[in-house]
Amino acid sequence: MIVVAVVLVQLAFIARGYWSDHKEFAFQMFPESSTWRADVVRVTQDGRRVPVELPWSGYRWDVLVPNRGLPYPSVRHHADAGLDNQLAFLEEALDWVARNTPRDRETRYLEARVTSWHNDDPPQVELIRSDVRGGTN
Amino acid sequence: MNAAAVGAPPGAKSLVDRFDALLGRRVSMRGLALLRVLTGPVVLLHLRPYLSDSLDGHTYRDAFHHPYAAWYPELPDAAYVALLWLAAIAAVAMSVGFLTRLATATTFTIVAYNVFLSTTHFHNNRAYLLIVLGVLALAPTGRELSVDAWLRRAQKKPALTQSAPAWPLWLLRFECSAIYAASGLSKLVDPDWFGGTVTWQRVVRAREDLNALPDWTVSLLTDRAFHTGAAKFIVLTELFIAVALWSRRTRYAAVWVAVVFHVSIEASASVQVFSFLAIAVLVVWAVPSTRDRILRVDPTDESQRRLATLVRGLDWLARFRVETAKPGSRLEVVDRDGTALHKGAAVAFTLSRLPLTAWFALPALLLPPVRRARRRR
Repeated sequence: MIVVAVVLVQLAFIARGYWSDHKEFAFQMFPESSTWRADVVRVTQDGRRVPVELPWSGYRWDVLVPNRGLPYPSVRHHADAGLDNQLAFLEEALDWVARNTPRDRETRYLEARVTSWHNDDPPQVELIRSDVRGGTN
Repeated sequence: MNAAAVGAPPGAKSLVDRFDALLGRRVSMRGLALLRVLTGPVVLLHLRPYLSDSLDGHTYRDAFHHPYAAWYPELPDAAYVALLWLAAIAAVAMSVGFLTRLATATTFTIVAYNVFLSTTHFHNNRAYLLIVLGVLALAPTGRELSVDAWLRRAQKKPALTQSAPAWPLWLLRFECSAIYAASGLSKLVDPDWFGGTVTWQRVVRAREDLNALPDWTVSLLTDRAFHTGAAKFIVLTELFIAVALWSRRTRYAAVWVAVVFHVSIEASASVQVFSFLAIAVLVVWAVPSTRDRILRVDPTDESQRRLATLVRGLDWLARFRVETAKPGSRLEVVDRDGTALHKGAAVAFTLSRLPLTAWFALPALLLPPVRRARRRR
């Protein structure tokens, strides 16, 4: 029973890898040559758009988000685990930073203008926003 | 435990019965025991960045992380760090085989807890490590190659049986094969991958890293047409390994190719512990029977004596029984099917069955004199 269950679960995870952003146990290695870059800004209460490369309220983007290929978003990078996975992480990172920077009293939300190149396709541009920060509306 | 016990039993009635018998049959756990020894250092390598951060006073909570589920329990920092260090200690205990079952289960539990703390912790190599640790935790792998076994001998207690139901072994074989198959299949169905676009673009973008290579190599590697063929070769290599591991006729070739494949990946990409782990897991494809080949050596012959010493030291999968032959005898190896090999063929065959020397010695088995000798009974 254990063997059959594990085999079925493993096959299900492999199948799930074809549509899920995060592809746990799907073992799709080196899936794409896709690249991406993003201009990530803090949009403040008064409407200014401040690049996250500039430290704010004692925070630094590359310290807050040192992992998953995200510390220097303005530099064009390879999307190691695929574009969908990379941009899902970027979106989650924006939300995490928005929620975990309590000393910042001016940012309303974070926004990333992402340019992505899926393999050798023409570039696509999309806008990703964090949740609006609590207490800043 | 001999090879005959590993074959299918007579009288199995249906496919389900045969499948059940296959999984339940008692086989040697030697391969899994060796994998347990090798996996301990892999766990330490995996934990190193977390432990290093903890020494600097940092944990995952200080930076971007994304829990899989809101209900997943998170520990206070001190307890979390203590748990990581406990995992490192447990990994060492698992590797040396001290309180093996407990150490392996502890290692698996903590490594799994840590990986599932955040989506940012997840990578393919860590998924594979979890699978390996899970199987090792389920199988009785501490009865040999372990401090536990040594303590039993020292206390003059009877040795525990070194065989156990085969299902953990088959499970890990399935997972090992599934990983190559999943990776190969995902590339096969992606026209950009199979057509060479992905590898070509990766190489072209990393052109600066190729400066140390000769011009003609750089020119070849950055040639789009080269990748049209190379990509297909890579995909078919992965699928070949996934399939060929299942047949005894092609298994050694699959293992040999897999080693080259992983060494190439390690040299060209950052894959954390994947290469070492994947090569280590290949030991589970050894036939799960032990001491069913005989190496007969003349103790008065210096070179034969040296080979016997080498085999005693490196026969980690317990393939051979070393016996003393009459003075003046030729070196002889008797395979499990009764085939006897002598002199050079015997040396090549013996070295091809030791984990550390197999990769170098396996091609020698293709030499005509060795092939002829192996065909003779």
